[in-house]
Amino acid sequence: MRKILLVEDEEILRDTYQLIIGTQPYILDVAQNGQEALAWCEKRQYDLILVDLMMPVMSGVQFLERFMPVKPSDTRVIVLSNLSSGRDYERAMELGVDRIVLKADTTPKELLSTIRYQLEAPASI
Amino acid sequence: MTNSSVQKNKLTSLQTEHSSVLTEIAKYKLLVDSVQDYAIFLLDQDGYVQTWNKGAEKIKGYKPEEIIGKHFSSFYIPRDIKDNKPARELEIAQKVGRTEDEDWRVRKDGTRFWANVVITALFEDGELVGFAKVTRDLTERKQQEDALRKANVILKQQQKELQELNNSKDEFISLASHQLRTPATAIKQLLGLVLEGLYGEVSDQILPIVKKSYDSNQRQINIINSLLKVAQVDAGKVVLNKSPVILDELIEDVISEQQENIAAHEQTVSFTPSAAETVILADPQYLRMALENILDNASKYSFTGTAIDIKTEVTPTSVTIAITDKGVGISPENIGTLFDKFNRIPNDLSQTVPGTGLGLYWMKKIIDLHDGTIDVESRLGEGTTFKISLPREEAYA
Repeated sequence: MRKILLVEDEEILRDTYQLIIGTQPYILDVAQNGQEALAWCEKRQYDLILVDLMMPVMSGVQFLERFMPVKPSDTRVIVLSNLSSGRDYERAMELGVDRIVLKADTTPKELLSTIRYQLEAPASI
Repeated sequence: MTNSSVQKNKLTSLQTEHSSVLTEIAKYKLLVDSVQDYAIFLLDQDGYVQTWNKGAEKIKGYKPEEIIGKHFSSFYIPRDIKDNKPARELEIAQKVGRTEDEDWRVRKDGTRFWANVVITALFEDGELVGFAKVTRDLTERKQQEDALRKANVILKQQQKELQELNNSKDEFISLASHQLRTPATAIKQLLGLVLEGLYGEVSDQILPIVKKSYDSNQRQINIINSLLKVAQVDAGKVVLNKSPVILDELIEDVISEQQENIAAHEQTVSFTPSAAETVILADPQYLRMALENILDNASKYSFTGTAIDIKTEVTPTSVTIAITDKGVGISPENIGTLFDKFNRIPNDLSQTVPGTGLGLYWMKKIIDLHDGTIDVESRLGEGTTFKISLPREEAYA
């Protein structure tokens, strides 16, 4: 089964995304910030990481700055953001994430199809 | 003519001349004595008062007999006497011819007045014979200046407080919007789970209720997003990332993105691009959002089945995008406040069209940041044309 890591600090959104992703046969781990996410990534190799940008302790950008240079080539990264512009948004793009999803603009089905697409898409070079 | 008669004539002439000189002196004395707005008086070499005019009496309160023969340091405040200012001023006047000062002086009754004082050294055959002193009472002017200065200080303080209040308001809006967006986003996703049937079929009875909740939540998210966008632009946090933009292509993209929404109102959009391809230097993301905003506005305030026309016109220095709708129109008295924050113009559709009164405000700010202008032509009941003019950079003109 495909393994997904969700990194989101807001409890209500963590629960919501777990409910959405839980409708599909994926193994889902959950981290509350970038630091916890790095710890998970040391233990497991994920097929997909969904990461929020604005988080306490270690932000999404800080996590990406540490993780992207050592990212396994098969792992996809989707940023879940509230922002459609700004420094963090641009930095995430620069760091080479596969997709940025605007949380408030996406329906559960759209999110699931984005996840499915990324998991099935051939690895980028 | 005899010698004696010649001498007599000379004497008469001298007497006449003398009398004429005396008359002149008397005139000058009368002039100085009667001046009321200036204290004009003479001091001897050591600073003792020799003469006293009406103005001096009026300003300083001494009668001539009370002050003539007294030292002029009695006009100075204790601090200046302690600092030896009277003697210093005489010394400077003697050395350089005159000295001028503006400071506090004391009247006979001990009250202070703000004085402009000029002391001129008087020399006869190169020898110092005394000083002429002219004093003006500028208390009223000084009070006005002080009041003005105080008012300025208060005004600056108030401006600072207002700015701080404005900043706190912006921070509050930004923080509140961020906080509001998280639960609103969660509601959208949770209702979406139900609405999209991811947890099973929803009964026909429940479905419209969930749909209404979903739409209402979406409206809430739109308001929060508008508030955040405005807070960002008001706080000066919008920094344009300009690059060359093919304007006609950008407009076509905007139309295509809004097509579904426009078709839902059974409206049509026609676009007439300028004859030549126009490249401008702009932030494509923000310009796109501004154009989306204005097209959405044109559609919202137009009746079902009407057409919206978009045209671009180019001059050597600028490009104008004209968006014309056949909507409700705006009355002349409302055009002036159209771009005000939270302003919603009352019209036939404003009750039914959801809005925050922030869209046009934000759009104008974005066009301003591009050094552009917006003109509005409108006829109530007939429609509106928004003309957005943007500068063409020399390199891309």
